[in-house]
Amino acid sequence: MKRYLPYLLFIAALAITPFLDRFVQSLVYNFAIAAMAALAVNIMIGFAGQITFAAGALIGVGAYAGGLLGNAGLDVVSLLGAGLVTAAISVFIGLPALRLRGLYFAMSTLAAQFILEYLFKNVDPVTNGLSGLLIEPPKFFGIAIDTEFRTAIAALILLLLVWLACRNLTQSQLGRAFLVMRESEIVAKGMGINVPQTKFWCFALTGFLMGIAGAMLGFSTHIANPEAFGISLSVDYVAMMIIGGLGSLTGSLIGAAFITLMPEIIQRIGEHLHLGSRIFAVREIIFGALIMLFLIFEPRGIVALFSSLKGNNQTPGASTAK
Amino acid sequence: MKRLSLAPIALALGLSFSAQAEPTITICEWGTITGADALVNGMAYGARDYFEYLNQTKGGIAGVKINALLLDGRYKLDEELKIYRRCVSQENAVVIGGWSTGAAKALRADTTKDQVPFMTQSYSSDLLDPEKLPYMFMAGPTYEQQIILGLNDAKKRGARRVVLMHADNEYGRAPVKVIREEKAVEKLGMELVDVIEFKYDAQDLTAQLIRVKESKPDVVYIQSSTNQTIVILRDAAKIGLKPDLFVGNFYNINPAIPEQLKESAEGFRAVQLYTNWGVDIPAMRQINEFSKKNKIEKQDIYYMKGWLEGMVIAAAIENAVKANGGKVPEDISAFRKATRDQLAALKNFDTGGISPKLNYADHRGFSQARMAIIKGGKYIGATDWLKLADDQ
Repeated sequence: MKRYLPYLLFIAALAITPFLDRFVQSLVYNFAIAAMAALAVNIMIGFAGQITFAAGALIGVGAYAGGLLGNAGLDVVSLLGAGLVTAAISVFIGLPALRLRGLYFAMSTLAAQFILEYLFKNVDPVTNGLSGLLIEPPKFFGIAIDTEFRTAIAALILLLLVWLACRNLTQSQLGRAFLVMRESEIVAKGMGINVPQTKFWCFALTGFLMGIAGAMLGFSTHIANPEAFGISLSVDYVAMMIIGGLGSLTGSLIGAAFITLMPEIIQRIGEHLHLGSRIFAVREIIFGALIMLFLIFEPRGIVALFSSLKGNNQTPGASTAK
Repeated sequence: MKRLSLAPIALALGLSFSAQAEPTITICEWGTITGADALVNGMAYGARDYFEYLNQTKGGIAGVKINALLLDGRYKLDEELKIYRRCVSQENAVVIGGWSTGAAKALRADTTKDQVPFMTQSYSSDLLDPEKLPYMFMAGPTYEQQIILGLNDAKKRGARRVVLMHADNEYGRAPVKVIREEKAVEKLGMELVDVIEFKYDAQDLTAQLIRVKESKPDVVYIQSSTNQTIVILRDAAKIGLKPDLFVGNFYNINPAIPEQLKESAEGFRAVQLYTNWGVDIPAMRQINEFSKKNKIEKQDIYYMKGWLEGMVIAAAIENAVKANGGKVPEDISAFRKATRDQLAALKNFDTGGISPKLNYADHRGFSQARMAIIKGGKYIGATDWLKLADDQ
């Protein structure tokens, strides 16, 4: 039964989406897009141990690439194109990983984040600068993705595909190589793992997935705006990992749901309690406090909390080095 | 088909959202309550308070209470787009009030597709096109028009050499780009000697101001918000540039500037679109009456702008109800369209002294402005209402 649970949840989500109002449908695709990118970031950080602060910019590359290709009429091919362009940029950003480790590599990705932000703002002929690139709704297999409902359905289908790809990847030889590399590159080399090649595939594959998520984000907002792909977006994804569970695919989904839905839930509770304008400040405080509580009491994330409740303390793929 | 809202989530949390018993007219707006630009968020409170004033003094509009919803967009594009969808589909708002230039631009196509009147706080000329953007409205001259008004005033005082300073965001860069492309400075008979861009969140602009000093300008126009103007005037004082060299747009009429800078702000001029807080005008008397029983969150010119926007929106809704035989249209789409038509039809609309009389056929209401100057730690009027050359 557990094996089929993701598919059942997916079918349930598809079945209920037509009956949701446009706002909730927009929450569905916001979650699905965030979850796609979170899965990719978790593969990079949680499984392969490559700490990145450039996720926001890479998602931005996907949004611009998808937008440009989509506006050129490439439609569904624009998704793949966005994935390939972002994969190439991701590999380029990952080059310092051949020489740098841990926080030093993380700092190099931070630099890449700022360089890409600068390019988004200033390469006007490509990105349309600060005005942002307006993106026409694309057609996927002849169906225009021009409503919240269709965007939500497309995002859910893509999420399922990305989740399957990530699950298969983590169970493959390459996925196991990621885990060994995360624990110790020296041990990995000793086991005959080609570390530079493993890192190449890590950056290429996760970049590809982030590009697809970015393209869907652009298609949903109809604009790729440099202000939307700043460092705060990268930090959001790191927060998703910490809250959901580092090294857990399920944790990525939970983390994405937490970051995208929790502020809205807090807001609605505040409105229900008639907190007025105070809710806006309270919302941020509660949200921040919840993250701190997780860091203190369950640093392995919500997914580990669920495992503990079920009496299973080992999170699949989770690092043993805490 | 009835669509589901967030009720399932609420029920899961053990809460119940009771259906509203009485019919209401919902007006939904968002501001920056907690994010960047919060210094000027009086606009968001002003409109909400005007609707509440109508509820308390007139029972709403045509006897129907107004549900004025104020949300926090946090100056974040994704949050603002999310709120828009909530306002349109969940709250069934008749009119929506938005905040940032970026979000309003992103929503241009949506407002037309959804046929929902949208009052933007931005003054971007990209949002002003009654033909292509029939549902988009603003309250006053565009940023470009404000630059021309400010420079024209400087020209009358003998200025010739102009430097433009702007922030590195859409709000800062786009209007300056239009001014340069249209050679608006040259058309005024002035010379644009330099254009300087700076980081929106910069904390020190001394280097940029040294460059300004080397250009020997007669006037420096700032296209940015209050926070950056404070940094500019502070650093200008450090290198001996006087505040009377600088002119800012409407978002530079903020008590925080003279309060924080003291004499370093004396002589600074800014484009004033609305009558300032506290001036004895009919609208201020309404606000004073409202304040006896209600807390006013922000007491500044931005609040006055919000109050004006509330008046405009309420008048359009009231006219739409009148045109429907005194009944609130049951069909929200028809109600929105009727309100848009009535908004565009507003003529010689009296704002109780907050601005000149409004004509909304051009979707901006008016195109005049006054210049204000900081003297004795306060903004005072430096000119009467000035008109743009193309409106004369």
